[in-house]
Amino acid sequence: MVAIEVPEVNYTEYSNRQLVAVPLAVLVLALAIIGGWYLVTGAPANLGLEFTGGVELRIADDGGDVEQQIETAFERQPDSVRSIPGDDVYVVTFRAADEDPGGLAEDLSTQADEAGLSTSAIDQVSPSFASDTARTAVFGVALAFLGMSVLVFALFRTFVPSVAVVASAFSDLVIPIAVMNLLGIQMTLGTIAALLMIIGYSVDSDILLNNSVLRRTGDFYESVRRATRTGVTMTLTSMAAMIVMAIVAALFGVDLLRNIGIILSVGLCADLMNTYLLNVSLLRWYKFEGVKR
Amino acid sequence: MFESIKNNWRILLLVVVVIAATVALFAPQFGPETAPGEDVSEAQQGVTNLQYGLDLAGGTRVRAPLVGYTATEVDFGGDPAPEVAEAVAAGLNDTSETDVSAVPEENAVEVTDSSVTESEFRAAMDASGYAYGDVRSGVTQETRDVAEGIIEDKIDQTGLSGGTVQQVQSLTGEYFILVEVPGEDRSSVIDLLEDRGTVAIDIAYPGDNGTEIQEDVLTQDDFEELGSAAQAERGSGAYVPVTVRNTAPEGEQSPAHSFQQAVADRGFAEAYNSDLDQCDYGANPDDVSNPCLLLTVDGEVVNSFGMDPGLADSMASGSWATDGGFRLTTGEFSEAERISINLRAGALPAELDISGQGTSRSISASQGENYKNYSLFTGILAVFAVAGMVFLRYREPAVALPMIVTALAEVYALLGFAALLSYPIELAVIAGFIAVVGTGVDDLVIIADEVMSEGEVNSRKVFNSRFRRAFWVIGAAAATTIIAMSPLMVLSLGDLSGFAIFTILGVLIGVLITRPAYGDILRRLLTVR
Repeated sequence: MVAIEVPEVNYTEYSNRQLVAVPLAVLVLALAIIGGWYLVTGAPANLGLEFTGGVELRIADDGGDVEQQIETAFERQPDSVRSIPGDDVYVVTFRAADEDPGGLAEDLSTQADEAGLSTSAIDQVSPSFASDTARTAVFGVALAFLGMSVLVFALFRTFVPSVAVVASAFSDLVIPIAVMNLLGIQMTLGTIAALLMIIGYSVDSDILLNNSVLRRTGDFYESVRRATRTGVTMTLTSMAAMIVMAIVAALFGVDLLRNIGIILSVGLCADLMNTYLLNVSLLRWYKFEGVKR
Repeated sequence: MFESIKNNWRILLLVVVVIAATVALFAPQFGPETAPGEDVSEAQQGVTNLQYGLDLAGGTRVRAPLVGYTATEVDFGGDPAPEVAEAVAAGLNDTSETDVSAVPEENAVEVTDSSVTESEFRAAMDASGYAYGDVRSGVTQETRDVAEGIIEDKIDQTGLSGGTVQQVQSLTGEYFILVEVPGEDRSSVIDLLEDRGTVAIDIAYPGDNGTEIQEDVLTQDDFEELGSAAQAERGSGAYVPVTVRNTAPEGEQSPAHSFQQAVADRGFAEAYNSDLDQCDYGANPDDVSNPCLLLTVDGEVVNSFGMDPGLADSMASGSWATDGGFRLTTGEFSEAERISINLRAGALPAELDISGQGTSRSISASQGENYKNYSLFTGILAVFAVAGMVFLRYREPAVALPMIVTALAEVYALLGFAALLSYPIELAVIAGFIAVVGTGVDDLVIIADEVMSEGEVNSRKVFNSRFRRAFWVIGAAAATTIIAMSPLMVLSLGDLSGFAIFTILGVLIGVLITRPAYGDILRRLLTVR
């Protein structure tokens, strides 16, 4: 039987600078991608229907040449048409028209009916509501991050280890957003939920590591080794669940679950790197040099 | 006996919670609320008491603001509300007085005519001479409450169980009406919201062969104003003020005059001489002894009224029509509210802007059914993935098996909670369940690793000290998850509050009940050898 052996990094071979370089480079790259996205598209990520406004129809694929029909059925050109084979439906998205946001859903659903397409779901989001949602979402994530930071500082009451946790949590949030942009995944409410979950999940392994190093006696490397063994197992189990969820939900077209799965898988990957490179090196610096000063 | 209970109370607590969850899930006493004329088994969706939300059961959700502008902090200067409303309405062209109302309780004046712009309303407010604080878009609390009541009524009338109406506030302070109707598609829900019945007032009077009816003495268009329910100044009664129009094209009788004529002709003044004379239409509709006013909606009689002697006299003498106002009085305030809703016949006091600023979501029942099956399947596979990882890592069923059983017990307890609270299960809630399995197993891994580290666990004392150490990390991790999720619980972000609520509940159940129990199970397995 195959067993999972948690790999052991020989930290002594690398300097703090070397260890920190990798996660910092990735973080800078991710920030650059998000910044570039903002400059080019005017938004830090591909905003989904919930944040831009518009109409999304799910049209049943009952054999026939539905895709062809969709092309001709609507007066407006759909912004995207996606086929979901597992569920036999097409998802057709229309962005909100600036000139006439009203009446879009009615018109589209009538046009679909007239073309003989059967609609199984309609989502309509008004642009004003969408921008409101976007603001609320940003506010929510910021509040959650702030709350987490305060709590971490309260738990450890030392500056460097707390900053290490907060910094790696920040990086865990930013990297998935950059990856989402590259993969063309849209920012929706589901991905916001996933980002908040990353805050919760990623801090687990950081707290475990800090606790092991700071609150327990013993050799630094031994403590790190022990925490890594447990922490990597934790992260891998969660990742397994999320990858399976992402794949299955993508096949069936359950977008919410698929997005949460993808974001969390990426976030947990980022967390492995940040916890065991960034956080460890900051802790080592604190333990061997910071305390003496 | 006592000793063994004391030693294993954590496991026992878990068993109790699982049993309680089973009761909540399956006992008919905890079944969903039934619609009138429906029994529990009909209201149940499937074999459990779980309620499914829009995503999984199909249905339509509409969230839209009521259109209008409200001037806040208006100084009424002691003037009665109708006078204030009239003064403001005078400054608005083409806007009838019914579309402007003053609400003294909120110090507010609102306009509900959707063609009026903010600047026009500001101008009218300035022209009226009443000082005001600011003008915001949206309507007053009172109007929102009335609208909510009317929509609730409409949904009840369709006989569908599970339909809900509520007011929600966005981060920017704007109010929306949120309507959810399970099992209906978008167009029928919008039709329901926009549907308007016909209201008329008939007169029932004693004839030669029992009750005779003079139909449509007043119809919808004849009313100039339909007030909202108000408490009587004296006594315990309540009333709804209405005003009948006293204007008509050249050469025609105004509605107020013809109504006055009809009332006089049917002998109201003769029949009502004191407060003891009452309308008895309710008791014997086929043989009334006094003439009555009947309020009908779509031809159905919904309320009947007698008449105050003073009012009947002023109609008989012909002096009433100039003013044209009367009150439909009743004993209870709630009854007056009903009458007010009936009078409006389902017309909302302000327009619900569904196509413009509204947001709607509609899912067919079959799509919902698909989502339900897919997400169940996804969840089961996710649990298998976790189980597989745990077995691969520990390769010892004694450690891994209780871990998976404990994590599943956590989800089961959560399902019990959902049934108990009648919280509708949505896709987002299922995502929350999967998240709970994830964090749950994480914490169990922490416990297992901590307890089994540094050699054999040979005594209870060693076990306890290691377990406590593990618990510090778990508690800290749980606290961060709860903090991270709590904004979602309160912010108005649609389905996500369900996700947050269940993740937080799951973490709490985990930390307080299931994870300590896993510790006990592990201790028994490791120390009792």
